[in-house]
Amino acid sequence: MSAPFPLLRRSLGDSWRSLIGWSAGIAAALFLYLPLFPSLGGAGSQMAKLINTLPPQLIKALGYAQITTGGGYTESTFYGLIGFVLIVIAATAWGSAAIAGDEESGGLELTLAHAVSRTRVAVERGLSVLLRLAWLALLSGLLVGALNGPSALGLGLPGIVAVSAAYLGLGTLSATTALAVGASTGRRVYATGAGAGIAILGYVLNAIGNQQKSLEVLRAWSPYGWAYRHTPLVHGADWAGLALLYGTSAVLAVVTVIALRRRDIAG
Amino acid sequence: MTLPLALETAALGKTFGRTRALDGVDLAVPAGTVFGVIGPNGAGKTTLMRVLLDVIRPSSGEARVLGSDPRTGGPALRRRIGYLPGELRLEGRITGRALLNYYAGISGEVRPGSADRLAERLGLDLDRRVGTLSKGNKQKLGLVQAFLHEPELLVLDEPTSGLDPIVQQEFLALLREARDRGQTVFLSSHVLSEIQQAATDVAVLRAGRVITVSTVDALRQTAIRHVRAELEGVTAEGARRVLTGIPGLSALELSATPSPRLTASFTITGPIDGCVKALAGFTVAELVVEEPDLEESVLRLYHDGETR
Repeated sequence: MSAPFPLLRRSLGDSWRSLIGWSAGIAAALFLYLPLFPSLGGAGSQMAKLINTLPPQLIKALGYAQITTGGGYTESTFYGLIGFVLIVIAATAWGSAAIAGDEESGGLELTLAHAVSRTRVAVERGLSVLLRLAWLALLSGLLVGALNGPSALGLGLPGIVAVSAAYLGLGTLSATTALAVGASTGRRVYATGAGAGIAILGYVLNAIGNQQKSLEVLRAWSPYGWAYRHTPLVHGADWAGLALLYGTSAVLAVVTVIALRRRDIAG
Repeated sequence: MTLPLALETAALGKTFGRTRALDGVDLAVPAGTVFGVIGPNGAGKTTLMRVLLDVIRPSSGEARVLGSDPRTGGPALRRRIGYLPGELRLEGRITGRALLNYYAGISGEVRPGSADRLAERLGLDLDRRVGTLSKGNKQKLGLVQAFLHEPELLVLDEPTSGLDPIVQQEFLALLREARDRGQTVFLSSHVLSEIQQAATDVAVLRAGRVITVSTVDALRQTAIRHVRAELEGVTAEGARRVLTGIPGLSALELSATPSPRLTASFTITGPIDGCVKALAGFTVAELVVEEPDLEESVLRLYHDGETR
Protein backbone atom coordinates (compact mmCIF):
# COMPACT_ATOMS: atom_id res chain seq x y z
CA MET A 1 0.00 0.00 0.00
CA SER A 2 2.81 2.39 0.82
CA ALA A 3 4.72 2.11 -2.46
CA PRO A 4 6.82 5.22 -3.10
CA PHE A 5 5.71 8.15 -5.28
CA PRO A 6 1.98 7.32 -5.51
CA LEU A 7 1.23 10.60 -7.31
CA LEU A 8 4.03 10.14 -9.82
CA ARG A 9 3.01 6.57 -10.57
CA ARG A 10 -0.66 7.52 -10.98
CA SER A 11 0.30 10.37 -13.29
CA LEU A 12 2.48 8.12 -15.46
CA GLY A 13 -0.17 5.40 -15.39
CA ASP A 14 -2.80 7.82 -16.62
CA SER A 15 -0.67 9.11 -19.48
CA TRP A 16 1.10 6.17 -21.07
CA ARG A 17 -1.36 6.07 -23.97
CA SER A 18 -0.68 9.68 -24.79
CA LEU A 19 3.06 9.05 -24.43
CA ILE A 20 2.88 6.27 -27.00
CA GLY A 21 1.05 8.61 -29.37
CA TRP A 22 3.68 11.34 -29.08
CA SER A 23 6.48 8.79 -29.45
CA ALA A 24 4.89 7.51 -32.65
CA GLY A 25 4.55 11.07 -33.96
CA ILE A 26 8.22 11.82 -33.33
CA ALA A 27 9.34 8.52 -34.86
CA ALA A 28 7.16 9.15 -37.93
CA ALA A 29 8.62 12.63 -38.41
CA LEU A 30 12.21 11.37 -38.16
CA PHE A 31 11.62 8.41 -40.48
CA LEU A 32 9.94 10.73 -42.94
CA TYR A 33 12.55 13.49 -43.01
CA LEU A 34 15.99 12.07 -42.31
CA PRO A 35 16.11 9.34 -45.03
CA LEU A 36 15.42 12.04 -47.61
CA PHE A 37 18.71 13.81 -46.86
CA PRO A 38 20.98 11.80 -49.24
CA SER A 39 18.75 12.63 -52.20
CA LEU A 40 18.29 16.25 -51.17
CA GLY A 41 21.48 17.27 -49.40
CA GLY A 42 24.82 18.43 -50.73
CA ALA A 43 25.84 21.78 -52.16
CA GLY A 44 24.86 20.97 -55.76
CA SER A 45 21.67 19.06 -54.91
CA GLN A 46 18.14 19.89 -56.00
CA MET A 47 17.32 20.96 -52.45
CA ALA A 48 20.20 23.43 -52.45
CA LYS A 49 19.01 24.81 -55.79
CA LEU A 50 15.43 25.09 -54.55
CA ILE A 51 16.56 26.87 -51.43
CA ASN A 52 18.63 29.28 -53.50
CA THR A 53 15.46 30.36 -55.28
CA LEU A 54 13.69 31.19 -51.99
CA PRO A 55 13.79 34.73 -50.60
CA PRO A 56 16.79 35.00 -48.24
CA GLN A 57 14.57 36.35 -45.45
CA LEU A 58 12.45 33.20 -45.58
CA ILE A 59 15.52 30.97 -45.52
CA LYS A 60 16.79 32.79 -42.48
CA ALA A 61 13.42 32.75 -40.77
CA LEU A 62 13.14 29.00 -41.22
CA GLY A 63 16.77 28.50 -40.22
CA TYR A 64 17.47 26.72 -43.50
CA ALA A 65 20.81 28.45 -44.12
CA GLN A 66 22.76 25.31 -43.24
CA ILE A 67 20.31 22.83 -44.66
CA THR A 68 22.79 21.33 -47.06
CA THR A 69 24.84 19.77 -44.24
CA GLY A 70 23.60 16.71 -42.33
CA GLY A 71 23.66 18.57 -39.02
CA GLY A 72 21.98 21.66 -40.45
CA TYR A 73 19.37 19.53 -42.20
CA THR A 74 18.51 17.53 -39.05
CA GLU A 75 18.28 20.66 -36.93
CA SER A 76 16.21 22.69 -39.36
CA THR A 77 13.78 19.95 -40.33
CA PHE A 78 13.34 18.07 -37.06
CA TYR A 79 14.73 19.72 -33.91
CA GLY A 80 14.00 23.25 -35.05
CA LEU A 81 10.65 22.64 -36.74
CA ILE A 82 8.44 19.56 -36.60
CA GLY A 83 10.12 18.07 -33.54
CA PHE A 84 9.98 21.46 -31.82
CA VAL A 85 6.26 21.73 -32.52
CA LEU A 86 5.63 18.20 -31.25
CA ILE A 87 7.52 18.55 -27.97
CA VAL A 88 6.04 21.99 -27.27
CA ILE A 89 2.50 20.73 -27.77
CA ALA A 90 3.16 17.64 -25.63
CA ALA A 91 4.86 19.67 -22.90
CA THR A 92 2.10 22.28 -22.87
CA ALA A 93 -0.68 19.69 -22.82
CA TRP A 94 0.93 17.69 -20.01
CA GLY A 95 1.95 20.77 -18.04
CA SER A 96 -1.56 22.23 -18.28
CA ALA A 97 -3.26 18.97 -17.35
CA ALA A 98 -1.04 18.22 -14.34
CA ILE A 99 -2.48 20.90 -12.04
CA ALA A 100 -4.93 23.26 -13.76
CA GLY A 101 -6.61 20.52 -15.79
CA ASP A 102 -6.98 18.29 -12.75
CA GLU A 103 -8.34 21.21 -10.75
CA GLU A 104 -10.95 22.02 -13.41
CA SER A 105 -12.05 18.41 -13.67
CA GLY A 106 -12.48 18.27 -9.88
CA GLY A 107 -9.78 15.72 -9.09
CA LEU A 108 -7.26 18.01 -7.42
CA GLU A 109 -9.52 18.92 -4.50
CA LEU A 110 -9.93 15.29 -3.45
CA THR A 111 -6.23 14.51 -3.86
CA LEU A 112 -5.26 17.51 -1.73
CA ALA A 113 -7.81 16.50 0.92
CA HIS A 114 -5.68 13.41 1.51
CA ALA A 115 -2.40 13.10 3.40
CA VAL A 116 -0.21 14.85 0.84
CA SER A 117 1.31 18.31 0.90
CA ARG A 118 0.77 20.63 -2.02
CA THR A 119 4.53 20.76 -2.53
CA ARG A 120 4.59 17.02 -3.00
CA VAL A 121 1.71 17.12 -5.48
CA ALA A 122 3.46 19.81 -7.54
CA VAL A 123 6.86 18.10 -7.40
CA GLU A 124 5.68 14.58 -8.25
CA ARG A 125 3.45 15.75 -11.09
CA GLY A 126 6.14 18.06 -12.46
CA LEU A 127 8.58 15.17 -12.30
CA SER A 128 6.13 13.00 -14.20
CA VAL A 129 5.94 15.55 -17.01
CA LEU A 130 9.74 15.90 -17.05
CA LEU A 131 10.20 12.12 -17.27
CA ARG A 132 7.85 11.89 -20.24
CA LEU A 133 9.60 14.76 -22.01
CA ALA A 134 12.99 13.17 -21.29
CA TRP A 135 11.73 9.99 -22.90
CA LEU A 136 10.71 11.91 -26.03
CA ALA A 137 14.15 13.60 -26.22
CA LEU A 138 15.92 10.30 -25.62
CA LEU A 139 13.84 8.54 -28.26
CA SER A 140 14.57 11.32 -30.76
CA GLY A 141 18.31 11.12 -30.03
CA LEU A 142 18.32 7.33 -30.39
CA LEU A 143 16.45 7.45 -33.70
CA VAL A 144 18.69 10.22 -35.06
CA GLY A 145 21.70 8.13 -34.04
CA ALA A 146 20.21 5.07 -35.74
CA LEU A 147 19.45 6.97 -38.94
CA ASN A 148 22.81 8.79 -38.90
CA GLY A 149 24.63 6.15 -40.94
CA PRO A 150 21.89 5.05 -43.38
CA SER A 151 20.96 8.65 -44.13
CA ALA A 152 24.60 9.77 -44.42
CA LEU A 153 24.08 12.63 -41.98
CA GLY A 154 27.66 12.59 -40.68
CA LEU A 155 26.67 13.42 -37.08
CA GLY A 156 28.82 12.87 -33.99
CA LEU A 157 27.61 11.57 -30.61
CA PRO A 158 28.51 14.78 -28.69
CA GLY A 159 26.39 16.78 -31.14
CA ILE A 160 23.41 14.44 -30.74
CA VAL A 161 23.69 14.59 -26.95
CA ALA A 162 24.00 18.38 -27.05
CA VAL A 163 20.99 18.90 -29.32
CA SER A 164 18.93 16.44 -27.26
CA ALA A 165 19.69 18.46 -24.13
CA ALA A 166 18.66 21.67 -25.89
CA TYR A 167 15.51 19.99 -27.28
CA LEU A 168 14.53 18.70 -23.84
CA GLY A 169 15.25 22.16 -22.43
CA LEU A 170 12.73 23.75 -24.79
CA GLY A 171 10.10 21.18 -23.86
CA THR A 172 10.84 21.63 -20.16
CA LEU A 173 10.48 25.39 -20.43
CA SER A 174 7.03 25.16 -22.05
CA ALA A 175 5.99 22.53 -19.47
CA THR A 176 7.14 24.54 -16.45
CA THR A 177 5.53 27.68 -17.88
CA ALA A 178 2.22 25.81 -18.21
CA LEU A 179 2.66 24.35 -14.72
CA ALA A 180 3.45 27.72 -13.13
CA VAL A 181 0.56 29.53 -14.80
CA GLY A 182 -1.76 26.61 -14.11
CA ALA A 183 -0.74 26.50 -10.44
CA SER A 184 -1.18 30.28 -10.15
CA THR A 185 -4.56 30.57 -11.87
CA GLY A 186 -6.12 27.13 -11.78
CA ARG A 187 -7.24 27.70 -15.36
CA ARG A 188 -6.21 25.23 -17.99
CA VAL A 189 -6.71 27.63 -20.87
CA TYR A 190 -4.27 30.15 -19.36
CA ALA A 191 -1.73 27.42 -18.71
CA THR A 192 -1.97 26.18 -22.29
CA GLY A 193 -1.77 29.69 -23.67
CA ALA A 194 1.34 30.45 -21.64
CA GLY A 195 3.13 27.18 -22.45
CA ALA A 196 2.50 27.49 -26.17
CA GLY A 197 2.91 31.27 -26.07
CA ILE A 198 6.46 31.22 -24.72
CA ALA A 199 7.45 28.76 -27.46
CA ILE A 200 5.86 30.83 -30.22
CA LEU A 201 7.33 34.05 -28.86
CA GLY A 202 10.76 32.45 -28.72
CA TYR A 203 10.43 31.17 -32.28
CA VAL A 204 9.33 34.55 -33.60
CA LEU A 205 12.07 36.48 -31.78
CA ASN A 206 14.62 34.03 -33.14
CA ALA A 207 13.26 34.31 -36.69
CA ILE A 208 13.39 38.12 -36.59
CA GLY A 209 16.84 38.03 -34.99
CA ASN A 210 18.02 35.86 -37.87
CA GLN A 211 17.16 38.52 -40.44
CA GLN A 212 20.07 40.90 -39.91
CA LYS A 213 23.06 41.58 -37.71
CA SER A 214 21.44 44.56 -35.95
CA LEU A 215 18.55 42.35 -34.79
CA GLU A 216 20.80 39.49 -33.75
CA VAL A 217 20.45 40.60 -30.11
CA LEU A 218 16.83 39.41 -30.15
CA ARG A 219 18.01 35.82 -30.34
CA ALA A 220 19.63 36.29 -26.95
CA TRP A 221 16.13 36.88 -25.54
CA SER A 222 14.59 33.87 -27.25
CA PRO A 223 14.41 30.45 -25.58
CA TYR A 224 14.50 29.00 -29.09
CA GLY A 225 17.71 30.96 -29.64
CA TRP A 226 19.14 29.70 -26.33
CA ALA A 227 18.55 26.18 -27.57
CA TYR A 228 19.66 26.32 -31.17
CA ARG A 229 21.45 29.52 -32.18
CA HIS A 230 24.88 27.90 -31.96
CA THR A 231 23.76 24.77 -33.85
CA PRO A 232 24.55 22.29 -31.05
CA LEU A 233 24.20 19.28 -33.35
CA VAL A 234 27.25 20.51 -35.23
CA HIS A 235 29.17 22.57 -32.67
CA GLY A 236 28.35 20.75 -29.42
CA ALA A 237 26.78 22.02 -26.25
CA ASP A 238 26.07 25.72 -25.77
CA TRP A 239 26.44 25.76 -22.00
CA ALA A 240 25.20 29.31 -21.55
CA GLY A 241 22.08 28.58 -23.60
CA LEU A 242 21.38 25.37 -21.67
CA ALA A 243 21.89 27.19 -18.36
CA LEU A 244 19.32 29.79 -19.42
CA LEU A 245 16.79 27.14 -20.52
CA TYR A 246 17.10 24.97 -17.44
CA GLY A 247 17.63 27.88 -15.04
CA THR A 248 14.43 29.59 -16.19
CA SER A 249 12.60 26.26 -15.93
CA ALA A 250 13.88 25.79 -12.38
CA VAL A 251 12.63 29.24 -11.40
CA LEU A 252 9.23 28.43 -12.91
CA ALA A 253 9.15 25.13 -11.01
CA VAL A 254 9.68 27.03 -7.76
CA VAL A 255 6.93 29.48 -8.77
CA THR A 256 4.65 26.47 -9.35
CA VAL A 257 5.19 25.14 -5.83
CA ILE A 258 4.81 28.52 -4.13
CA ALA A 259 1.70 29.45 -6.12
CA LEU A 260 -0.03 26.13 -5.43
CA ARG A 261 0.74 26.33 -1.71
CA ARG A 262 -0.78 29.78 -1.35
CA ARG A 263 -3.99 29.48 -3.27
CA ASP A 264 -7.59 28.39 -2.69
CA ILE A 265 -8.36 25.35 -4.80
CA ALA A 266 -11.51 25.41 -6.90
CA GLY A 267 -13.92 22.55 -6.40
CA MET B 1 -17.44 17.70 32.25
CA THR B 2 -16.65 18.94 28.77
CA LEU B 3 -16.32 16.44 25.99
CA PRO B 4 -13.26 16.65 23.73
CA LEU B 5 -14.15 18.42 20.50
CA ALA B 6 -13.49 16.83 17.13
CA LEU B 7 -13.86 20.16 15.46
CA GLU B 8 -14.40 23.70 16.49
CA THR B 9 -14.69 27.00 14.68
CA ALA B 10 -14.68 30.51 16.08
CA ALA B 11 -15.95 33.47 14.08
CA LEU B 12 -14.89 31.66 10.92
CA GLY B 13 -15.26 33.86 7.86
CA LYS B 14 -14.58 33.34 4.17
CA THR B 15 -15.01 35.93 1.49
CA PHE B 16 -14.92 35.29 -2.25
CA GLY B 17 -14.56 38.65 -3.91
CA ARG B 18 -17.54 40.56 -2.54
CA THR B 19 -19.47 37.47 -1.47
CA ARG B 20 -19.36 36.48 2.18
CA ALA B 21 -19.65 32.70 1.99
CA LEU B 22 -19.02 32.25 5.71
CA ASP B 23 -19.97 35.10 8.00
CA GLY B 24 -18.65 34.30 11.46
CA VAL B 25 -19.39 30.62 11.99
CA ASP B 26 -19.13 29.31 15.56
CA LEU B 27 -19.45 25.57 15.87
CA ALA B 28 -18.37 22.92 18.35
CA VAL B 29 -18.67 19.28 17.38
CA PRO B 30 -18.02 16.83 20.23
CA ALA B 31 -15.93 13.78 19.39
CA GLY B 32 -17.90 10.62 18.72
CA THR B 33 -21.08 12.30 17.53
CA VAL B 34 -22.83 12.39 14.20
CA PHE B 35 -23.24 16.08 13.59
CA GLY B 36 -25.33 17.37 10.72
CA VAL B 37 -25.18 20.77 9.14
CA ILE B 38 -28.19 21.66 7.08
CA GLY B 39 -29.12 24.61 4.99
CA PRO B 40 -30.22 25.56 1.51
CA ASN B 41 -27.80 25.62 -1.41
CA GLY B 42 -25.40 28.52 -1.06
CA ALA B 43 -25.66 28.59 2.73
CA GLY B 44 -21.92 27.91 3.07
CA LYS B 45 -21.92 24.20 3.93
CA THR B 46 -19.44 23.24 1.23
CA THR B 47 -17.22 26.27 1.92
CA LEU B 48 -17.10 25.35 5.60
CA MET B 49 -16.04 21.79 4.86
CA ARG B 50 -13.40 22.85 2.34
CA VAL B 51 -11.89 25.18 4.94
CA LEU B 52 -11.70 22.27 7.40
CA LEU B 53 -9.73 20.25 4.82
CA ASP B 54 -7.44 23.20 3.98
CA VAL B 55 -8.57 23.11 0.36
CA ILE B 56 -9.41 26.78 0.82
CA ARG B 57 -8.21 29.21 3.49
CA PRO B 58 -10.41 31.24 5.82
CA SER B 59 -10.46 35.03 5.52
CA SER B 60 -10.98 35.46 9.25
CA GLY B 61 -11.57 33.51 12.41
CA GLU B 62 -10.21 30.19 13.50
CA ALA B 63 -10.81 26.51 12.97
CA ARG B 64 -9.47 23.54 14.89
CA VAL B 65 -9.84 20.03 13.56
CA LEU B 66 -8.88 17.11 15.83
CA GLY B 67 -6.94 19.62 17.88
CA SER B 68 -4.95 21.14 15.01
CA ASP B 69 -5.31 24.18 12.81
CA PRO B 70 -6.08 22.80 9.32
CA ARG B 71 -3.83 25.52 7.91
CA THR B 72 -0.77 24.02 9.63
CA GLY B 73 -1.92 20.46 10.32
CA GLY B 74 -0.72 19.28 6.91
CA PRO B 75 -0.70 15.67 5.74
CA ALA B 76 -0.49 14.33 9.31
CA LEU B 77 -3.85 15.88 10.13
CA ARG B 78 -5.57 14.97 6.85
CA ARG B 79 -4.46 11.36 7.27
CA ARG B 80 -6.94 11.24 10.18
CA ILE B 81 -9.83 12.62 8.11
CA GLY B 82 -12.00 11.03 5.43
CA TYR B 83 -13.57 13.51 3.03
CA LEU B 84 -16.33 13.28 0.49
CA PRO B 85 -16.58 16.44 -1.66
CA GLY B 86 -19.98 17.87 -2.40
CA GLU B 87 -19.42 17.93 -6.11
CA LEU B 88 -17.66 14.65 -6.62
CA ARG B 89 -16.35 14.34 -10.15
CA LEU B 90 -14.51 11.17 -10.99
CA GLU B 91 -13.30 10.58 -14.51
CA GLY B 92 -10.95 8.49 -16.55
CA ARG B 93 -10.14 5.01 -17.72
CA ILE B 94 -8.84 3.99 -14.30
CA THR B 95 -10.86 1.29 -12.51
CA GLY B 96 -12.51 1.91 -9.18
CA ARG B 97 -10.08 -0.47 -7.53
CA ALA B 98 -7.01 1.28 -8.97
CA LEU B 99 -8.40 4.66 -7.93
CA LEU B 100 -8.94 3.41 -4.38
CA ASN B 101 -5.37 2.07 -4.35
CA TYR B 102 -4.19 5.51 -5.32
CA TYR B 103 -6.14 7.18 -2.53
CA ALA B 104 -5.01 4.50 -0.08
CA GLY B 105 -1.42 5.35 -1.04
CA ILE B 106 -1.93 8.95 0.02
CA SER B 107 -3.98 8.44 3.18
CA GLY B 108 -3.78 6.52 6.41
CA GLU B 109 -3.18 2.80 6.84
CA VAL B 110 -5.87 0.73 5.12
CA ARG B 111 -6.82 -2.69 6.40
CA PRO B 112 -6.55 -5.37 3.72
CA GLY B 113 -9.92 -6.13 2.16
CA SER B 114 -11.56 -2.90 3.39
CA ALA B 115 -12.24 -1.63 -0.11
CA ASP B 116 -13.96 -4.85 -1.18
CA ARG B 117 -16.01 -5.06 2.00
CA LEU B 118 -17.27 -1.50 1.69
CA ALA B 119 -17.92 -1.83 -2.05
CA GLU B 120 -19.89 -5.02 -1.53
CA ARG B 121 -22.06 -3.44 1.15
CA LEU B 122 -22.89 -0.52 -1.09
CA GLY B 123 -23.28 -2.69 -4.18
CA LEU B 124 -20.42 -1.21 -6.19
CA ASP B 125 -18.38 -3.01 -8.87
CA LEU B 126 -14.74 -1.99 -8.36
CA ASP B 127 -13.56 -3.45 -11.66
CA ARG B 128 -15.49 -1.00 -13.82
CA ARG B 129 -13.83 2.06 -15.23
CA VAL B 130 -14.56 5.15 -13.21
CA GLY B 131 -15.58 7.17 -16.26
CA THR B 132 -18.34 4.69 -17.12
CA LEU B 133 -19.96 4.71 -13.66
CA SER B 134 -23.36 6.30 -13.06
CA LYS B 135 -23.66 9.27 -10.70
CA GLY B 136 -24.88 7.02 -7.91
CA ASN B 137 -22.01 4.58 -8.36
CA LYS B 138 -19.46 7.39 -8.40
CA GLN B 139 -20.98 8.60 -5.14
CA LYS B 140 -20.55 5.10 -3.69
CA LEU B 141 -16.90 5.14 -4.77
CA GLY B 142 -16.50 8.54 -3.09
CA LEU B 143 -17.98 7.13 0.11
CA VAL B 144 -15.70 4.08 0.00
CA GLN B 145 -12.59 6.27 -0.31
CA ALA B 146 -13.75 8.41 2.63
CA PHE B 147 -14.41 5.41 4.93
CA LEU B 148 -11.48 3.33 3.62
CA HIS B 149 -8.83 4.15 6.23
CA GLU B 150 -11.29 4.30 9.16
CA PRO B 151 -10.46 7.94 9.90
CA GLU B 152 -11.17 9.57 13.25
CA LEU B 153 -13.23 12.22 11.52
CA LEU B 154 -15.47 11.87 8.49
CA VAL B 155 -16.39 15.07 6.65
CA LEU B 156 -19.15 14.21 4.20
CA ASP B 157 -20.67 16.85 1.97
CA GLU B 158 -24.14 15.80 0.79
CA PRO B 159 -23.27 12.12 1.17
CA THR B 160 -26.58 10.61 0.07
CA SER B 161 -27.02 12.63 -3.09
CA GLY B 162 -27.60 10.27 -5.97
CA LEU B 163 -28.02 7.17 -3.78
CA ASP B 164 -31.17 5.09 -4.05
CA PRO B 165 -33.17 4.45 -0.84
CA ILE B 166 -31.75 0.98 -0.19
CA VAL B 167 -28.16 2.20 -0.45
CA GLN B 168 -29.10 5.17 1.73
CA GLN B 169 -30.15 2.72 4.44
CA GLU B 170 -26.82 0.91 4.13
CA PHE B 171 -25.04 4.24 4.34
CA LEU B 172 -26.93 5.08 7.54
CA ALA B 173 -25.80 1.72 8.93
CA LEU B 174 -22.20 2.64 8.08
CA LEU B 175 -22.65 5.91 9.96
CA ARG B 176 -23.98 4.12 13.03
CA GLU B 177 -21.08 1.68 12.98
CA ALA B 178 -18.62 4.54 12.60
CA ARG B 179 -20.17 6.28 15.59
CA ASP B 180 -20.07 3.08 17.63
CA ARG B 181 -16.36 2.76 16.88
CA GLY B 182 -15.84 6.27 18.20
CA GLN B 183 -15.44 8.01 14.85
CA THR B 184 -16.90 11.49 14.52
CA VAL B 185 -19.08 12.27 11.52
CA PHE B 186 -19.67 15.79 10.26
CA LEU B 187 -22.11 15.71 7.38
CA SER B 188 -24.13 18.21 5.44
CA SER B 189 -27.39 18.03 3.63
CA HIS B 190 -30.26 20.03 2.33
CA VAL B 191 -32.38 16.90 2.67
CA LEU B 192 -33.40 16.93 6.30
CA SER B 193 -34.81 13.44 6.41
CA GLU B 194 -31.25 12.21 5.98
CA ILE B 195 -30.06 14.17 9.01
CA GLN B 196 -32.91 13.18 11.25
CA GLN B 197 -32.12 9.48 10.93
CA ALA B 198 -28.37 9.69 11.20
CA ALA B 199 -27.44 12.71 13.25
CA THR B 200 -27.64 13.35 16.96
CA ASP B 201 -27.03 17.10 16.60
CA VAL B 202 -27.90 19.55 13.90
CA ALA B 203 -26.65 23.01 13.02
CA VAL B 204 -28.74 25.10 10.68
CA LEU B 205 -26.66 27.26 8.38
CA ARG B 206 -28.06 30.09 6.35
CA ALA B 207 -26.26 32.78 4.37
CA GLY B 208 -22.94 31.88 5.98
CA ARG B 209 -24.20 32.03 9.56
CA VAL B 210 -25.24 29.39 12.07
CA ILE B 211 -28.88 30.14 12.85
CA THR B 212 -29.35 27.45 15.44
CA VAL B 213 -27.72 24.38 16.90
CA SER B 214 -30.03 21.77 18.27
CA THR B 215 -30.29 18.09 19.00
CA VAL B 216 -32.47 16.06 16.70
CA ASP B 217 -34.57 15.14 19.75
CA ALA B 218 -35.16 18.80 20.49
CA LEU B 219 -36.13 19.38 16.88
CA ARG B 220 -38.51 16.48 17.24
CA GLN B 221 -40.08 18.22 20.25
CA THR B 222 -40.97 21.16 18.07
CA ALA B 223 -41.81 18.91 15.15
CA ILE B 224 -45.01 19.21 13.22
CA ARG B 225 -47.12 16.06 12.97
CA HIS B 226 -49.95 15.60 10.54
CA VAL B 227 -52.88 13.75 12.09
CA ARG B 228 -55.98 12.31 10.45
CA ALA B 229 -58.71 10.67 12.55
CA GLU B 230 -62.03 9.15 11.51
CA LEU B 231 -64.52 9.42 14.34
CA GLU B 232 -67.89 7.77 14.85
CA GLY B 233 -71.05 8.97 16.64
CA VAL B 234 -70.08 12.61 16.97
CA THR B 235 -71.24 15.83 15.35
CA ALA B 236 -68.90 18.32 13.72
CA GLU B 237 -69.63 20.89 16.41
CA GLY B 238 -69.03 18.38 19.19
CA ALA B 239 -65.72 17.30 17.66
CA ARG B 240 -64.60 20.86 17.02
CA ARG B 241 -65.26 21.85 20.61
CA VAL B 242 -63.02 19.10 21.97
CA LEU B 243 -60.32 19.19 19.33
CA THR B 244 -59.70 22.94 19.47
CA GLY B 245 -58.75 22.45 23.11
CA ILE B 246 -55.72 20.30 22.14
CA PRO B 247 -52.42 22.15 22.76
CA GLY B 248 -50.47 22.88 19.59
CA LEU B 249 -53.32 22.10 17.22
CA SER B 250 -53.74 24.02 13.98
CA ALA B 251 -55.13 23.70 10.47
CA LEU B 252 -58.17 21.75 11.66
CA GLU B 253 -60.46 20.50 8.92
CA LEU B 254 -63.61 18.48 9.47
CA SER B 255 -65.58 16.66 6.82
CA ALA B 256 -68.54 14.29 7.01
CA THR B 257 -66.91 11.60 4.92
CA PRO B 258 -66.84 8.69 4.63
CA SER B 259 -70.43 8.76 5.90
CA PRO B 260 -71.51 8.21 8.63
CA ARG B 261 -68.02 8.94 9.98
CA LEU B 262 -66.49 12.33 10.57
CA THR B 263 -62.91 12.88 9.34
CA ALA B 264 -60.74 15.32 11.25
CA SER B 265 -57.40 16.43 9.79
CA PHE B 266 -55.07 18.75 11.65
CA THR B 267 -51.46 19.34 12.59
CA ILE B 268 -49.92 19.16 16.04
CA THR B 269 -46.85 21.16 16.93
CA GLY B 270 -44.90 19.75 19.84
CA PRO B 271 -45.87 16.80 22.08
CA ILE B 272 -48.52 14.43 20.76
CA ASP B 273 -49.79 13.39 24.17
CA GLY B 274 -52.61 15.94 24.51
CA CYS B 275 -53.96 14.90 21.14
CA VAL B 276 -54.07 11.22 22.09
CA LYS B 277 -55.85 11.98 25.35
CA ALA B 278 -58.45 14.14 23.65
CA LEU B 279 -59.16 11.62 20.90
CA ALA B 280 -59.65 8.88 23.49
CA GLY B 281 -63.02 10.43 24.35
CA PHE B 282 -64.34 9.55 20.90
CA THR B 283 -64.93 6.32 19.09
CA VAL B 284 -61.92 6.32 16.79
CA ALA B 285 -62.43 4.23 13.64
CA GLU B 286 -59.16 5.16 12.00
CA LEU B 287 -56.08 7.11 13.10
CA VAL B 288 -53.02 8.15 11.10
CA VAL B 289 -50.19 10.10 12.74
CA GLU B 290 -47.44 10.82 10.27
CA GLU B 291 -43.75 10.65 11.14
CA PRO B 292 -42.78 14.12 12.37
CA ASP B 293 -41.48 16.15 9.51
CA LEU B 294 -38.34 17.92 10.69
CA GLU B 295 -38.16 19.60 7.34
CA GLU B 296 -41.16 21.71 8.25
CA SER B 297 -39.81 22.63 11.66
CA VAL B 298 -36.46 23.59 10.26
CA LEU B 299 -38.01 25.57 7.46
CA ARG B 300 -39.69 27.51 10.20
CA LEU B 301 -36.28 28.13 11.74
CA TYR B 302 -35.09 29.43 8.38
CA HIS B 303 -38.05 31.71 8.35
CA ASP B 304 -37.41 32.96 11.88
CA GLY B 305 -33.79 33.50 10.92
CA GLU B 306 -34.83 35.65 8.03
CA THR B 307 -37.26 37.80 9.91
CA ARG B 308 -35.07 38.19 12.95
